[in-house]
Amino acid sequence: MTRERVLVAMSGGVDSSVAAALLVEQGYDVIGATMKLFCYGDSVPDRPCCSLDSIDDARRVCERLGIPHYVLNMEDAFGRDVLQNFVDEYARGRTPIPCVRCNSFTKFRDLLHKADALDAQWIATGHYARAENGELKRGQDPAKDQSYFLWGIDRSVVARMLLPVGALTKSETRARARALGLTVVAEKPESQDICFVPGGDHTVVLAKHLPAADAALSRGPIVLSDGRRVGEHEGFARFTIGQRRGLPGGYAQPMFVVAIRPADRAVVIGPRDELLGSGIVAREMNWLVADAPEVGAAVEVQVRHHAAPARAEIVRIEGDEIELALDEPVSAISPGQSLVIYRGERVLGGGVIEAGRAAGAERGTRARLPIFAA
Amino acid sequence: MPAPVYLDHAATTPVRAEVLAAMEPFYGPKFGNPSSMHRWGREARASLDEARERLAAALGASSDEIVFTSGGTECDNLAILGSWRLLREKGKRAVVTTPIEHKAILAATHQAHHEGAEERLLAVDGSGVVRDESFDALVRDDVAICSVMWVNNEIGTVQPIKKLAERAKSRGVLFHTDAVQAFGHIPVSAKTTPVDILSLSGHKIGAPKGIGAIYIRRGTFVEPLQFGGAQNRGVRPGTENVAAAVGLARAAELAVEELDTEMPKIRAMRDELQRELEARIPDAVVHASAAQRAPHILNISVPGTDSESMLLALDMSGVACSSGSACQSGSVDPSHVLEAIGVPRELAIAAVRMSLGSLTTPACVERVVQLFPALISKARRLSGVAS
Repeated sequence: MTRERVLVAMSGGVDSSVAAALLVEQGYDVIGATMKLFCYGDSVPDRPCCSLDSIDDARRVCERLGIPHYVLNMEDAFGRDVLQNFVDEYARGRTPIPCVRCNSFTKFRDLLHKADALDAQWIATGHYARAENGELKRGQDPAKDQSYFLWGIDRSVVARMLLPVGALTKSETRARARALGLTVVAEKPESQDICFVPGGDHTVVLAKHLPAADAALSRGPIVLSDGRRVGEHEGFARFTIGQRRGLPGGYAQPMFVVAIRPADRAVVIGPRDELLGSGIVAREMNWLVADAPEVGAAVEVQVRHHAAPARAEIVRIEGDEIELALDEPVSAISPGQSLVIYRGERVLGGGVIEAGRAAGAERGTRARLPIFAA
Repeated sequence: MPAPVYLDHAATTPVRAEVLAAMEPFYGPKFGNPSSMHRWGREARASLDEARERLAAALGASSDEIVFTSGGTECDNLAILGSWRLLREKGKRAVVTTPIEHKAILAATHQAHHEGAEERLLAVDGSGVVRDESFDALVRDDVAICSVMWVNNEIGTVQPIKKLAERAKSRGVLFHTDAVQAFGHIPVSAKTTPVDILSLSGHKIGAPKGIGAIYIRRGTFVEPLQFGGAQNRGVRPGTENVAAAVGLARAAELAVEELDTEMPKIRAMRDELQRELEARIPDAVVHASAAQRAPHILNISVPGTDSESMLLALDMSGVACSSGSACQSGSVDPSHVLEAIGVPRELAIAAVRMSLGSLTTPACVERVVQLFPALISKARRLSGVAS
């Protein structure tokens, strides 16, 4: 009997390395692949391109596991689908999550095509989530659960996904790595940075891709929600809703960014209660279940990674747009971030947050105000 | 699965049995340092001198014109930077090369540019052949060195090196050729071709990796890239790799001896492969097919496919090919050569280079003739689904 073939996306980190190792143990015909998504170096043709340590680590793990390893050049598609969108979203005053689009387009669409070319029925990653019976579920380890980033993949793909570390906790994963002798990666520190944002400063990437005088990185006013101008900033793309850092002080209570208005480059600040939203509008809605909920359904939602699920009711569905009313207000609903809809462990679907409706606003209305951001 | 098929001889070749046998004593009793005065040293020195002589003979050169190096990249760097650094002192200000060179030449030229050289790239035609008018315009007496590769490693195009070298000479310009893919595949002789400097690599002709040689015509000088002892007359100091030098000399001799018997067979198999693939895939494009090509290289693009997926699928089926231009990370990048000869991007990203050599048999060709079109159909089916 021929073994079932699986293509594993390997970043060189501990999670995907253990994922590959577990699949080898389970008897799959495993192929490792590292996606080359961007290049730190100059792109002039006669200069050697970067040889990232992470690629070397992934290759060494594969050598140890006795499986083939390929480096796949996906720079063009990643640049188009992920990086460009990242830049565009910030330029629109929003806070994107490139990892979501990378999962939706790069990993579980483009890489899946490579799996097809290799006759691999399965595709695997080191995500802490579970794919069972064609449905996506939260990872076993609540502290590591990454299902929030996976809502955008095509539903048909879930049935081809293997997420072996989704059933482990992070410490179990590290223990497995040590037990398997994967010393290269076992003790690697966790990276919270976006892979293409060196040093965690996204404005470096924006400055490289935006025109020199782009509004997003130019001086603008800091205002209160009543319109009073209280200071200046060096570009609204440096701010995210809920942010405290870099704001003027001297207020009786802590002040936060509560809205970003690209039209007049304004960063609006206010106290904590102005951050609260009681409704959410999201677009690009993607359902991952056959029994997608309808208007009136009670669901749980998350508006950011690691947030506690909040109870909500679906009040409107129009095409790929959805509106929900939250049972209790939620803080810092940020346009560009993801809205993910759960029912218990199951991921029902998700979308990109278009706006939050301020607490106190009437649910389901089309009122222009008070919407946080345009 | 049927026996694996290696069609990547332009990347590297297996070490020949005769070469291995010639090298073996130097990993055993003949371990001496050729710079030592005692009997062990003399023995090694004698073997090294003999290797230099035999390699020189194979190349139509004198032994004092041969310097052993670590390989093609070092030769290319020594040629470009060694000439530039010496001749800039004499008022030369430019380095001329082509856009289809190996990256060793392009990167060394780029380095010369950082050091103040003007970088001039010759225009090439749709097969990569240097255009006469561009050569005449760019190769002026202010040029330190002009470098044109004899055989292109990706598409196999053969340049009119004799003519170009003569023209450079008539303008007083030093001429270098990267003959890494030419030697052993087409006649290469310093006697009949007036090049000043020429690069050779061992592992493309059945010698091991890590050995190469640079021919520097008597009366031509280059500045060394590294400093130390007087080995190789100071041009390339460092204790010589005697075993590998002996291996390179043996491989070069064999390549020259067998040129007239082996290369016609390789060419016939390449032409057969090309003919059969073109017949089975009517819209396939063979790059540089209009030019005079080295016998061992076939570079083919099929619209609607991509190199990377094809190379993966071929590898999974046990057939080793290349896109011709591998990044250090091992990923497949669009070829600068195909871009330079004006191949549209959708074809450039689909290029697959097959290079034949000592491991190639008619059975290998037959297998690829059967397999490749099937993989192409599948790739097109998948990309049809994808789009």
